[in-house]
Amino acid sequence: MDAGEILVWLVWIGAATALFASGLAVVLFQNPFYSALSLIVNLASLAVLFLLLSAEFVAAAQVLVYAGAVVVMFLFVTAYLGGRADAPWAGGPTLQSFFAVLAAGAIAVEVVVVIALTAGDRLTDPAEISDAFGSPAEIGRLFISDHLLAFEATSIVLLVAAVGGVILGTTAPRTVRAEGRAEVPER
Amino acid sequence: MTPALAQALVEPWWISVIKAFVIANLVLGTFAYLTVVERKLLGRMHLRYGPNRVGPFGLLQPIADLMKLLRKASFFPKGAVTMLYILAPILAAFTAISAFAVIPFGPGWEIGGYYVAGQIVDVSIALLLILALSAVGIYAFVVGGWASDSKYSLLGSMRTCAQLVSYEVSFGLAVLGVVIMAGSLRLTEIVAAQQEQIWFVVPQLVGFLCFFVAGVAETNRAPFDLPEAEQELVAGYHTEYGGIRWGMFQMSEYINMLTFSALGVTLFFGGWSGPILPAPIWFLLKLGALIFVFMWLRATLPRLRYDQLMKFGWKVLLPVATLNAIATAVLVTIF
Repeated sequence: MDAGEILVWLVWIGAATALFASGLAVVLFQNPFYSALSLIVNLASLAVLFLLLSAEFVAAAQVLVYAGAVVVMFLFVTAYLGGRADAPWAGGPTLQSFFAVLAAGAIAVEVVVVIALTAGDRLTDPAEISDAFGSPAEIGRLFISDHLLAFEATSIVLLVAAVGGVILGTTAPRTVRAEGRAEVPER
Repeated sequence: MTPALAQALVEPWWISVIKAFVIANLVLGTFAYLTVVERKLLGRMHLRYGPNRVGPFGLLQPIADLMKLLRKASFFPKGAVTMLYILAPILAAFTAISAFAVIPFGPGWEIGGYYVAGQIVDVSIALLLILALSAVGIYAFVVGGWASDSKYSLLGSMRTCAQLVSYEVSFGLAVLGVVIMAGSLRLTEIVAAQQEQIWFVVPQLVGFLCFFVAGVAETNRAPFDLPEAEQELVAGYHTEYGGIRWGMFQMSEYINMLTFSALGVTLFFGGWSGPILPAPIWFLLKLGALIFVFMWLRATLPRLRYDQLMKFGWKVLLPVATLNAIATAVLVTIF
């Protein structure tokens, strides 16, 4: 094993440990603000793992979209609404948390089984990748050729979600506002 | 330079380390003297002298400022979340400085038998990397404001967050036109494409204007300096910061402006290319011109209202930037 391989292993162990630890931290922190911060660390370590797999574009897009846009919104809302005393786990584990852990465990087992069944003994072979692998151009080509249907379906799902967000966001507070207005004494 | 040629001329890793050290310090030095330049320029525009007491022409002012900040007592509010409060300015400074790693300063040289590339690293996702770093930099402001345990800080950081997230979208769409025309996210290839064709500011004038406006908003400079509107928020997210921690926040904002101007030069004004003079000189000249416009804007325009800022960002800038990107895509496909 030469120095380069040792470095790769060290980075991999560091990133994988950070990924696991921050993933646990997301669900274990009592304060939602800290959970959101742990989620950023989680996404960043995942990006490092993508870089180790020569997937530069995915790593950058991951940080840009999830850390850059999505988690900022989480932080925004929790900083405004959730006080520091918020404790979703207060009062011990509930039935919901029990089933959540059960479901997460089931998914983890499923992922391992599926990978083991489909990959077989190919996992030990080093992958052959070209220079273009993971580059923006190559990923763009895959998006509009092999994975066009999934790509378009995702965009429609996102559009529906965005429209839903706008509708929920504009109608729900209106009733609250109307109630609030009634309390104001007339001049 | 084609990627294949660049690959043949791979430089040893220690040259990259030296370059990283030199460029990080150059950026810090430039930042220090830009503060003097800005104060002098603003002074002249306000018909006064600006700093002129420390050293000849006030040239030692940044050193005096630095010493003052370093020697200040580093206290923080009783209710502050200590670790996050300390980490936030460090994160801000880190993301600001590291963005310079992918900016090309020249075509690459051969020094003492070694090939030295014109940038620290040349990655295929350079532009995305800068956008991602600036996105991570937002957390410094949000976390710093939240961890300070102060209403002014929290409101300031919420404003910063809303403003940066709103203008980030337009910023990304504005540079998309350049990416489509150059056919690459690699900054070196974008510079090369402009040497073959024309400076992208000519065909992408609308894109450049969107880029510039969004960039002024992204760097919290006047007239978009709402996050630190003194009259409303005392000082925004860094209200509770003092000493060198405050200095690091200020520094990161300044360096962000520097990065943004360097990106503007690279994407729209042909990067380092120019006749007669050496490449880095051309780069610095163009950089200086863009930064001057920033300072000029600050001395000229009053601050926007919050609703004006949001309305402009979402209802004017975003549609224009989107149309520009679509129009570029259609035109590039046809011709």
